[in-house]
Amino acid sequence: MVSQTETGSGRPYSPAQVRRLTDFDLTLPALGLLILFFVLPVAMLLTRSVTEPVPGLGNYAELLGSSTYLRIFANTFIVSGLVTLVSLLIGFPVAWALAIMPNRAASIVFAILLLSMWTNLLARTYAWMVLLQRTGVINKMLLGMGLIDTPLPLVNNLTGVTIGMTYIMLPFIILPLYGVIRKIDPAILQAAALCGANRWQSLVRVLLPLAMPGMAAGALMVFVMSLGYFVTPALLGGTSNMMLAELIAQFVQSLVNWGMGGAAALVLLVVTLALYAVQLRFFGTNRMGGR
Amino acid sequence: MKRILVLAATAATIATAMPATAADLVFTSWGGTTQDAQKIAWAEKFTEKTGINVLQDGPTDYGKLKAMVEANAVTWDVVDVEGDYAAQAGKKGLLEKLDFSVIDKSKLDPRFVTDYSVGSFYYSFVIGCNKDAVDACPKTWADLFDTQKFPGMRAFYKWSAPGVIEAALLADGVSADQLYPLDLDRAFKKLDTIKSDIIWWSGGAQSQQLLASAEAPFGSVWNGRMTALAQSGINVETSWEQNITAADALVVPKGAKNKEAAMQFIALATSAEAQADLAKITGYAPINLDSPKMMDPELAKTLPDAQTASQVNADMNYWAENRDAIGERWYAWQAK
Repeated sequence: MVSQTETGSGRPYSPAQVRRLTDFDLTLPALGLLILFFVLPVAMLLTRSVTEPVPGLGNYAELLGSSTYLRIFANTFIVSGLVTLVSLLIGFPVAWALAIMPNRAASIVFAILLLSMWTNLLARTYAWMVLLQRTGVINKMLLGMGLIDTPLPLVNNLTGVTIGMTYIMLPFIILPLYGVIRKIDPAILQAAALCGANRWQSLVRVLLPLAMPGMAAGALMVFVMSLGYFVTPALLGGTSNMMLAELIAQFVQSLVNWGMGGAAALVLLVVTLALYAVQLRFFGTNRMGGR
Repeated sequence: MKRILVLAATAATIATAMPATAADLVFTSWGGTTQDAQKIAWAEKFTEKTGINVLQDGPTDYGKLKAMVEANAVTWDVVDVEGDYAAQAGKKGLLEKLDFSVIDKSKLDPRFVTDYSVGSFYYSFVIGCNKDAVDACPKTWADLFDTQKFPGMRAFYKWSAPGVIEAALLADGVSADQLYPLDLDRAFKKLDTIKSDIIWWSGGAQSQQLLASAEAPFGSVWNGRMTALAQSGINVETSWEQNITAADALVVPKGAKNKEAAMQFIALATSAEAQADLAKITGYAPINLDSPKMMDPELAKTLPDAQTASQVNADMNYWAENRDAIGERWYAWQAK
């Protein structure tokens, strides 16, 4: 092959052909792998939702007709929404600060952010357990300072899940936001100030609207990722804060009821894909990751 | 029995896993210290004796087991499962019948023997308490359900399994011989009264951590974990009053590649010596009736074997029949 291309008349392919090759064909190996080892098994599990234990939509009727399961659905959305909101509230100032910081300081903050992302998820979650529990560091400190009389219930409940998941999601909102804010010309803010806008006005009426695409993309990503979260809610939440992923695991592993597991998985998949469609429709793929 | 979080155990497994050749036997258990002990007390001895290499896999996952059997691609030869699951899975056709011409069941505790399974080890749910953290320790199940006399959080096993429902009924005054069939309405009503005071533990290590840190100063825990806590110097008290026994079981999945070797492995694992060795390391009780004789009397005293006076046996056959129905109700109640 090599000798042929080298000795052959000029280039073996025209530039147009080369470009066409990079478009789609190059994704084929990965695509094939995904179809074989991901799409097919998932499709098989989903099929079971309408065939087990008897053919029909019985599993879906049970899933959507039970107040317990509906509560778990609601819970999943509440937790994901809360995590997204808190991540935005914390992530925006951080991203902004990163964008205007001197490069050396910014690279230190980035290193901290990435280091936390690269640390084992379980280790990080257990660390929160130790910090938040009744006899944990935070409660002991507050008790010692006399700020509270009885320990605050910070873990095994909604508070624990929200804190733990927000912490994990923060980089996913800070990084796209940073990208967007970084691109905003500082001169625009100066112009706002020259036109008489105070700090608050230039934040709300200039910076926020300009950063909106990054915020929306980051928020949607965090929301969608949160919907399927398993480990953190399982460890930091109570049983009454159960989320959908835990329910699916329970059906598949403990109750060995794959029909119901498949049904719950399909519901989660449909919601996730719908949100992804929204993201594509409004922001396009190239906005993801803040580019 | 230990549903240690899947991730942790998987990581440990990957580190030791190698592709199994036809001659290798694959033993699957729940990871953590118990599987380490099973490796030392059983697997290494088995390899020494037969020359058959034993690969450790885990954690046990009933979904995976079913998938393997259905796809006729079984890579596990011997699996450590919960006793009630073993009784159920055998009836569902997921397990091989055990070959009792290879496995000597005459010396095995008959409570834990079925056509498809033998006990792996057994344990009791006891009332554990961190003495340094409270003024008084609960002695009975009724005490553990009494939030007036014993205020504070209490630890209970998170998963649907024999133990907690029985404890609730005993606490409510049901006599031990009237437990089965379980009055679920009554049990959940009793559990409702302490629901907001419960911290659920999902694995043995977590129960130890909860008691040691006094996050939940008392609770219903496996007896072996109390032994471990006492050994680590924590001032604990164990109440054996109406201790509720349950067992893990050894099974062979239907279509296992090394069926014969699997039977030999189970024969060795349930032998008096191997059972005594495991009990020494874990603090759980041997299911071979000859094992206690081979153990240090001091140690034998700490086993559920020595606490039969008020012992309550969880009815594995009842659980096998009703496992699914109870499970669904259990998780629905928890999520409420």
